[in-house]
Amino acid sequence: MLSNPGEGRGDFAALVGWRSPVAPDAAVRPAFASPGGTTSPGDGLAQTNIHGTTVIAVKYRDGVINVGDRRATGGFAIMYDKAEKILALDDYTLMAISGSFSKAMEITRYLRHAFKYYERSQLQPMSLDGKLSELGKVIAGNQMAALQGIGAVIPVLSTYDRERDEGRIFFYDAGGARFETGEYGAAGSGSTQIRGVFEYITKTKGPFRDMDRDTALREALTLLEIAADLDAATGGAGKVLPVAKTITREGIEDVDEETLRTVVNEILSRDPLAVSPSGR
Amino acid sequence: MSYSLYDWNQSLQQRNEYVEDRLKDGSPVVAVSYDDGILMLSLRPGQQRKVYEVYDRLMLGALGKQSDIESLRIAAIDTAHREGFERSPDDVSIQRLVGFALSPAIKRVYNDQSAIPLTLRIVFAEMNRTPDEDHFFVMGYDGEFAPHNRHAVVAGTPYAEEQAEAVLAEAAPKTLDEALRAALNAWGTARARLSPKSAEDDEEFDPLREGGENGDGGDAPPVSDDPAVALREALKDGAKVEAGILSRNTTRESKFRLLDEKELAPVLEAYQ
Repeated sequence: MLSNPGEGRGDFAALVGWRSPVAPDAAVRPAFASPGGTTSPGDGLAQTNIHGTTVIAVKYRDGVINVGDRRATGGFAIMYDKAEKILALDDYTLMAISGSFSKAMEITRYLRHAFKYYERSQLQPMSLDGKLSELGKVIAGNQMAALQGIGAVIPVLSTYDRERDEGRIFFYDAGGARFETGEYGAAGSGSTQIRGVFEYITKTKGPFRDMDRDTALREALTLLEIAADLDAATGGAGKVLPVAKTITREGIEDVDEETLRTVVNEILSRDPLAVSPSGR
Repeated sequence: MSYSLYDWNQSLQQRNEYVEDRLKDGSPVVAVSYDDGILMLSLRPGQQRKVYEVYDRLMLGALGKQSDIESLRIAAIDTAHREGFERSPDDVSIQRLVGFALSPAIKRVYNDQSAIPLTLRIVFAEMNRTPDEDHFFVMGYDGEFAPHNRHAVVAGTPYAEEQAEAVLAEAAPKTLDEALRAALNAWGTARARLSPKSAEDDEEFDPLREGGENGDGGDAPPVSDDPAVALREALKDGAKVEAGILSRNTTRESKFRLLDEKELAPVLEAYQ
């Protein structure tokens, strides 16, 4: 009578017949992986996909804060300086994306629909574990493309767990395996350069989870600025203001531009990197 | 035995009577625009939901058999999500959803002489930038639908719908609080005034109506035609107010949410 391809289970993939895009013939390129980056430098522009660069998630007292630069690159070319890489999947879930931009956008669009479709048709929200598995499945489906270096997506997923009343951060590898992290998560080309700094901060200044929002925001934006200084593909805050979003018990909120600008100006006014020649 | 035009007419009439008889006792659903969004309100006798989110800016409410409402609800959600994903959320409109997907499907069932028609009456709401741009559609068991502006009501009879709409037109609410008060008043009106003659006569002349087998499980309509009395009695019988809103200016990813008891308490005080 009235059609029901979702079979009443809230399965959005079944409804639209969706499956992860499969990579072209594996023989075309040698298989070597480079999560978050492009394997063939090329001349930028048309030959490579456009990539998003550095995103960071840290916990703080009331939940999780996500920051990301605005740059998207194609090979060595800067393609776009207003990229949105921190995306809301629903009222309590943020996905920070790095890697292939086209795939990340497709995955975001898919997950938003999948989560909402489930909630609207089943009249109850999808469980956190259900959402995490859904994202894992999508990344795993994309693995062939990732192995060829033409479309890896490495997201960091942050959420506010209302049952436990705390913020939680998960990161994924290119195969879809997920890991929960205690304090922070980062992905993208600039993330490797700053990884140790997270550890240094928690060991010297105390854990991120005890910081208030403004302190956590300052630390995260400083880390992002260091990534921009040390990684060629990450955009600095001096050119375009980064994006920062928080998730708390009350849901997702943008950090307002005023606050962002104040913190960024403060960071930019400090001494340049230690690797620069002394005397400024 | 031949099948004459008369027989055909007769069977059509019987089908209509069958459905309309079962819709009469249902709990009305009232939808109204206000500055900051759209409110859809009803009273439910038990745990069964009455107001549903369909898509980012769409919701629906219905009275009738729950199983029929459910299959139509799922069809609406499926179609909206498929369209929104494969094209764009901006292309999902109530006009397209009702006109091209849902109405033809209902019409097919209605025209099938061997099937029982879907026993329902549905109201759809689509939120846009301003109350004037909001769209409402009311669709019946035969697949017929009509667009409405600013507000729409589904109730047991066309007369009850008219009466309730007049209440909403006069109230022209601007805030959520005003919308809630107007919607409750309209619900009571739709419930209490099913036909021009008084509900009392109706009750006496039609004893068979007692314990109708409709899925809403509503009791017989109240004796008085005072909206406040109808509401008070429904609440006394344990019915719960269910109110869903679509918010125009929220930054949340979901525009739809159900109001909680704390938000409803102030407007319900008058009826307790």
